[in-house]
Amino acid sequence: MAAKKRERLTIIRDILIVIRDTRNIKPTRLLYASNLSPQMFKDYVNELLNKKFIKLEISEKEKKTFSLTKKGYDFLQEYRIIENFIKNFGL
Amino acid sequence: MVDLIDLFNWIIENKDIIKIFYGLIITVICAFIVIKVDKLFKLSMHQGIRYFRNAFFFYGLAFIFRYFLGTYSFYEGSLLNPSAIKFIFEFFLIMAGFFLLYSLVWKRIENSQEKNPSSSLFNKNLLVFYFMAFVIVFLDYLWSTYFFMFLSQIILFVCLSIISYINYSKGKKQHRFLKLYFVAMILSLIAWILNAILALYLNWNKGVLVNIYILNIIFFLLVLYGVVKVTRKI
Repeated sequence: MAAKKRERLTIIRDILIVIRDTRNIKPTRLLYASNLSPQMFKDYVNELLNKKFIKLEISEKEKKTFSLTKKGYDFLQEYRIIENFIKNFGL
Repeated sequence: MVDLIDLFNWIIENKDIIKIFYGLIITVICAFIVIKVDKLFKLSMHQGIRYFRNAFFFYGLAFIFRYFLGTYSFYEGSLLNPSAIKFIFEFFLIMAGFFLLYSLVWKRIENSQEKNPSSSLFNKNLLVFYFMAFVIVFLDYLWSTYFFMFLSQIILFVCLSIISYINYSKGKKQHRFLKLYFVAMILSLIAWILNAILALYLNWNKGVLVNIYILNIIFFLLVLYGVVKVTRKI
């Protein structure tokens, strides 16, 4: 049986949880953990960066890592309410 | 019996005040719903939430046109044209119903993994609804009737009742509001059927009209209750 396609909101939550749990994560590791195609991954990460849910840090050795912002933490806190609303109204 | 006649006379004498008060209650409820749901949409960028918000935005606009501008347009010296107000009111009301339906079925039409369309008011999936709303309103305008609006709303709320019943039967244990949402849809369906009977056979009997007002207020209050209950921590 084919696995059910994840919704956009679930994908965003999954990405944010991975970043939160690892604190700092390299783009390649995050791509594997997110289970998305490279193009979709790029779109989602750009969206999260634009919304300031995550930030990209570049070290002196030019290593890139993602970390969660306060807005990202807040989103994860309120995710339950959003999910509850969607399910309660069947949206 | 005398009390009932007195009440009926009072309704007839104060019909404009009752209309404005009714319009005000529903407009305020819609404004609350739109503000609350908009916060949730900005946080989640979820398309279903976006269309749900749009539905109540259009309901609010429709009631402003019908019960404030519409009532004013019948007064002597008013610059507003009652036919134009009726046209706009019907258009907004029908679009509100379509948005409510689309908020429940959008997942089957749009790809929920893709980035959201930039506008939820003017994207290509909604063009068919705008076109249908325009045709319905135009037909009513041609025949100077409300028949096509009533027919469209009864069909729409039959669909909404069926979909919300399916949603309720799938998730009744975890999500209690699904039941009330289904009840709200049934109430609105009853209100639309009564409205059609009233307009087509009872010549807008004021006593029955008050019952429809009450049913509609309950419908909007039920939705507001659900919105406030679920979003109270935001």
